[in-house]
Amino acid sequence: MSPWLIGFLAFFAYPFFATIYYSFTNFNGVQSPKWVGFANYTALFHDPLVGTSLFNTFFYTVFELPLSTAAALGLALLLNQNVRGRSIYRTIFYIPSIVPLVASCLVFVWIFNPATGIVNDLLNNVHIEGPGWFFSSAWAKPTLILLGLWGVGQPMVIYLAGLQNIPRELYEVADLDGARPWQRLRFVTLPMLSPVILFNVILQLVACFSYFTQAQVIEGGDLGGPGTSTWFYVQYLYEQAFTFLKLGYSSAMAFFLFVISAIVMVLLFRSSSRWVYYASDG
Amino acid sequence: MSVAMNRRTPRKFGASMGKHAVLILVSVVLGFPLLWMALTSLKTNHQALADPPVWIPHPFVWSNYPQMISSVSFPRFVLNTLMYAAFTIVGVCVSSSLVAYGFSRIRWRGRDFLFKVMVSTLLIPFFATLIPLFVMYKRFHMVGWYLPLIVPTFFGSSIFSTFLLRQFFMTIPQSVSDAAKVDGANEFTIYRRVILPMAKPALATVILFQFVYCWNDYLGPLIYIDNQVWYPVSLGLTLVLGTYTTNWPWVMAAASAATLPIIVLFFFTQRTFIAGIAIQGTGDKG
Repeated sequence: MSPWLIGFLAFFAYPFFATIYYSFTNFNGVQSPKWVGFANYTALFHDPLVGTSLFNTFFYTVFELPLSTAAALGLALLLNQNVRGRSIYRTIFYIPSIVPLVASCLVFVWIFNPATGIVNDLLNNVHIEGPGWFFSSAWAKPTLILLGLWGVGQPMVIYLAGLQNIPRELYEVADLDGARPWQRLRFVTLPMLSPVILFNVILQLVACFSYFTQAQVIEGGDLGGPGTSTWFYVQYLYEQAFTFLKLGYSSAMAFFLFVISAIVMVLLFRSSSRWVYYASDG
Repeated sequence: MSVAMNRRTPRKFGASMGKHAVLILVSVVLGFPLLWMALTSLKTNHQALADPPVWIPHPFVWSNYPQMISSVSFPRFVLNTLMYAAFTIVGVCVSSSLVAYGFSRIRWRGRDFLFKVMVSTLLIPFFATLIPLFVMYKRFHMVGWYLPLIVPTFFGSSIFSTFLLRQFFMTIPQSVSDAAKVDGANEFTIYRRVILPMAKPALATVILFQFVYCWNDYLGPLIYIDNQVWYPVSLGLTLVLGTYTTNWPWVMAAASAATLPIIVLFFFTQRTFIAGIAIQGTGDKG
C-alpha cells in the first residue's frame, strides 16, 4: 500500500502540480523556471497550430469514440450468440488489438497506399476510384479512424464479458412479455450493460485526447498526413517540449487540454445518471 | 447482425447460416490486414508492387526475414525489449501485489477513499504529468536508458495490475487469513506465505499483460531512449522503415516479426488473456 502512496506522490501528484506551475513559467529544463504569469496561455490562444491540432484531436475523438463503441458493442453482440466456432471468431476479432501499434500503422500504410496498395486495387475492380487515404488531407484522419476501429478488440472483449454477466432470467421475463429482439436489446441488454459502457467510453476518451503514437509513426516515417491534416495536439505538445525545449509553453498546453478533458468527463458523468443503470444489488 | 436476430421463427439451419455468413464476412475484413502483411513479407519487391496484385507469393521469399533481421540489429531490439519487460514484470509483481494486498485484505481508515483516488488517476491523461517527470528523470541522470520506465513499476504505477490483483485477493475468504493469524503469522507473512501462492493465476495474468505492454510500448521508449543501441522492437520498426521505405516486403517482414511473438503468445494463453481483460473491464461496476 505505502509503495503506491510514495509512487503516487512522486510520479503522479508532484508532476501533476508541477505541470501547472511550469505552465506559468518560462522554462527550458536547464535554467530554473522564470515566472511569466499568463503569458504562455495568451500565446497559446493566439497560436494557430494549437487551434489546428486541437481541431484534429476533436475530429478524431468525435468520430472514433461513438464508432468504436458501436463497433465493439456490435461485435460483442455478434459473438454473444450461440454459434459454433465462437471462440475462433472471437480470436480473429480480438487479435488486431494486440498487434504492436507501430506494426499496425505500417500495415495500414501499406494496404492503403493510393498507388500500390491492395485496397485501391480491390476498389478498382469494382470501378471505384479509391481516395489517397493517408496521402490526402481530406482522407488522412478518416484512415486513422479506420485504423482505430480495426483495433477495437479490447472493449469488445469487455462488452462480451458484460453481456455474459446479464442474468438469463431477465431475457426469459422479456420473452414472456413478448419482447421483440430489438426491444430486448433496448430494454434489457443496453441498460444492464450501461455501467460497463460508461467505464469504457471514459477510458476511450482519455485515449482519444492523448492520441499520439499512430499519428507520430505516420508523420515521422513520412508516410502521409499532408500539411497539418494529421497534426494532433499531443504531437504538437511533444514537439514543443522535446524538440524546442519550451517546457513552460508545453506545460500550459498540457494543462489546457487536461482542463478540457476534465470538463468533458464531468459532463459525461453528469449525463450518466440519465442513461447508466446500476442494478440495485450491484 | 439485425438480420440474423430478427428472424423470429426461422428454420434453424437458415438462421445459423446467416449468422455464420456475417461472422465470416467480419472475420475476413478484420483478418485481412495481417494476412496481407504476412503475404507481402514473403514476396519479392517486384511482386509486391505488381499490378494486378499477386496474391500468393511465387516463389516464397523466406530470405526476406534473415536479410531484414541482419540489416538492422533486430535481435538486439528484441533483447532490449525482453530486458525492459523483465525488469518491469518484477516491479509490477512485487509492488502491485503488495499494494493490492493493502487495498483488500487489511482494513484501515481511508482505504476505500484512497482506492478511489488510485483508480481515478486512470482518468488523467499521460501528458498531464509528462514534462515534470522528464525534467525529474533528467535531473537524476536517468534519461537515456529504461530506468524512467522501470522505477515507477516498483511503486505500484501499474494501476490495472493492482486492480486485477485486488479483485482476485477479495475472492479469497477472510477465514484463510484468520487461520494464519491464529498460528501467529503477521500480515507480511500472510501476504508472502499464504495469499501470494494462492494468487499464482492472477500473477500470471499480470505478467502476461505487462509483457504485451512492454513489447508494444512505443511512447515510453520514444521519450526516454535516444540511443539506437537501446531501441526496443517498436522503435526498431520505425528504424527499418526509415532505412527501407522502398522495400515493402522487408518492412512487412519486420512488422510480421514484431507481431508474430505476440500472436503466438496469445494463442497459448487465450483463456488467461480474455479472463484478465474481463476482470479489468467489468470487475468494478460502481
